[in-house]
Amino acid sequence: MTDSIFSGLKVADFTWAAAGPIITKQLADNGATVIKVESQRHPDSIRLGGPFIDDKPGINRSGFFADFHSSKLGIAVNMGHEEAARVITPLMRWADVVAESFRPGIMARWGLDYESLRKINPRLIMLSSSLYGADGPWASHPGYGAQGQALAGLHSLTGWPDRAPAVPKGAYTDAVSPRYGAAALVAALIHRERTGEGQHIQLSQIETTVELLAPQLLEYQITGEVPQRSGNDKPGALLHDVYPCKGEDRWIAVEVEDREQWQGLVDVLSRQRSQTGQSLSIKNPSRAGKDELDEAVAAVTRDWDAQELMAALRSAGVPAGVAYKASDLLPDDVLRARGHFWPLQHEEMGTLEYNGPAYRFEHTPPRLTRAAPMLGEHTDEALHDLLGFSQTEIGELRSLGVLE
Amino acid sequence: MTETTHQKGSSTNTPGGALSGIRVLEISHQAGAVCGRVLADLGAEVVKLEPPGGEPARSSHPLVELEDGSEQSCFWLAFNVSKRSVCIDLSSDAGLGDFRSLVQDADIAVTDFQRLSLRESDRLQAIARDASPQIIWLDILPFGRGEPFEDYPATDTVLQALGGHLFLNGDVDRPPVRIGVPVALVQGGAEGASGALMAYYHRLRSGVGQRVDVSIQECIVWTLLNSTMIWQILGMNEVRGGAIRKERANRFYTRLVWPCRDGYIFFGPVGGGGGVARQKSYDALLKWMAEDGFTDEILTRHDWNGEGQFRIPQADYDAVTEVIARFIRTKTEDELMSRAVRDRILLAPVSSVKAVFDNPHFRSRHFYEPLEDPLRGTSLEYPFRWARLTETPLRQLTPAPLPGQDNERFLNAAKHQSQ
Repeated sequence: MTDSIFSGLKVADFTWAAAGPIITKQLADNGATVIKVESQRHPDSIRLGGPFIDDKPGINRSGFFADFHSSKLGIAVNMGHEEAARVITPLMRWADVVAESFRPGIMARWGLDYESLRKINPRLIMLSSSLYGADGPWASHPGYGAQGQALAGLHSLTGWPDRAPAVPKGAYTDAVSPRYGAAALVAALIHRERTGEGQHIQLSQIETTVELLAPQLLEYQITGEVPQRSGNDKPGALLHDVYPCKGEDRWIAVEVEDREQWQGLVDVLSRQRSQTGQSLSIKNPSRAGKDELDEAVAAVTRDWDAQELMAALRSAGVPAGVAYKASDLLPDDVLRARGHFWPLQHEEMGTLEYNGPAYRFEHTPPRLTRAAPMLGEHTDEALHDLLGFSQTEIGELRSLGVLE
Repeated sequence: MTETTHQKGSSTNTPGGALSGIRVLEISHQAGAVCGRVLADLGAEVVKLEPPGGEPARSSHPLVELEDGSEQSCFWLAFNVSKRSVCIDLSSDAGLGDFRSLVQDADIAVTDFQRLSLRESDRLQAIARDASPQIIWLDILPFGRGEPFEDYPATDTVLQALGGHLFLNGDVDRPPVRIGVPVALVQGGAEGASGALMAYYHRLRSGVGQRVDVSIQECIVWTLLNSTMIWQILGMNEVRGGAIRKERANRFYTRLVWPCRDGYIFFGPVGGGGGVARQKSYDALLKWMAEDGFTDEILTRHDWNGEGQFRIPQADYDAVTEVIARFIRTKTEDELMSRAVRDRILLAPVSSVKAVFDNPHFRSRHFYEPLEDPLRGTSLEYPFRWARLTETPLRQLTPAPLPGQDNERFLNAAKHQSQ
């Protein structure tokens, strides 16, 4: 019996940016040995993206990069060097999984396409993740997850009907595709465990995200009507909106699904009557118009502290959530009790709280074992200890410029 | 990529899939159904356990009327294809007996918080583990297990809020606005599939089954990508924006959503961060604008994507935006995307559901899969090929089940076996 899910699993990780590294992070945080391959000339691009420690840019100073690279080792290899294969071929023989997220065609240029790699290592599972996927007319068009969420349709369904569609924060497809990608990758590992057969998995970040819109795509086909953004309206809910609370830019999302919850809401909001002079004047939500209802609720909530109101509503069985800012997430009691954040010490960045996985196992807990690697931090260690190179060979490869 | 790759990646050639022979019991509402759909696509046999008459999720929004006059849930139809349905009453002794028989042959059980209370889930889990000690038991929950928080009530929007994402969406002069589809529940489901499979992989190697739980709140925190680091390192909370916002950790506002002739595009031509790709994208835009006679000194006054971008005055960002906006308004979404692909300009149309459905790139990749459903008289295209696996392609879709349509097959088989 192993103490982590992926103990003993070996991963050669050529992914960069977010979508790919978040998949290999799931492996690393569950015990796999993940070697991230970069070079001085082509470091992972998000090493160049902030936030930087002390607000000073630097190749080993990005918190953006750090969060996706817990528990991984980092090596620096000049992939363009004519003798790069002296390192890469043993790495590919060693690996159970090779992951990459280059533009389609780049791996083939290095002779590292799946057909070539399976000759070196027939049991290899290769995962290729790109924004648009490996083929099709837009396959080599550059872009980020923000373009991805626009093309996947999420963006058009977010915001107010009387205004331009609101950008959902972040490179959203980079967050969605790792969940589907990890499921496909682990399924391939299961298949290999049962048959001995490796394979190649290809992902498009955008297409995985379109899965989120499957109901709307069916709705459009059946009715001929194109679903539109509708602010915070939600069909089916008795009450659903984001209401103001006391303080600057404080908000609470409340959703009432049945009469019992409605009664809970009325009870909580009426309690304040003596202190604020405000109480909820609507007794029957299904007879009131949405605007009337929301205004009546907002008139009461704006005198409440958001956290206190959430606690009161939770006790009354009413679904409610403060619109957390990042500064609320780090001290949140629930995330703390859950052990979501993992403090990890890094030579240049000091101790930062990394995000851990969203799942927990009864017997094999995920463990974030180390902070993100500095560029090339483990080159010698990985080549010697894991790939079996002698110190003399490592010295030679370094003087040739293969290792950086 | 060649046509042969398509054929190899198509679902029609190979039955089975990576998870063929693995049986999943699903007791779900929405998140659990998404999880079951992912496992079914990967080849597992997914058996839904529904109460007599069908589960409540069969009437979840969005609802439509079919040609035969029946009302159907698009959410339910979307995420319950390729599954079996067995109706049993889990509140009766007979139903629990059936459950015990069924679970003996199951490898994974999927549950979610909308369908079962924790008490109900635990009660069923105890029966399941007694009958099948190696089972993987998955609970998809708002906040996870094991602490006082496990009982807090929650919904999709509440979890978008508590994961920190809601606050960052929408215009700053209005309340934060949700993403208009249940992204929290769907991502919780997909994450559940990944977690359950990790546990199953472990079981294959160790013989040990276990319980897995997913926190949807934690799933949403992950969609922020960098906000918790921005707060820790810079002490900054990002500010929401609709079309115009402070991108990443910027101190200045830039326009990201641009009206065009027939809709909107997403585009961060200036001040969006560094990198050669952004600089080339801007140069290609200027070339196109010049061809159409759109020239202005402001367009080249600064190195808009270079190192100095963080010190350019807001007034200059506003001025350059006005010129670019005038140009973009003269083009259609298709014109903009065609030229963008040709010249590597980093923009994308803010696609409507119709545009997503018609998207020529997805179409050429055979992303959609037609499904005839004789039971309901529908013929619909599903967004389907979300991963391409060379040896174990996703399994071909079959219509979503009627309530209890597989009772005879599964209950009789289970009873026969347990005798």
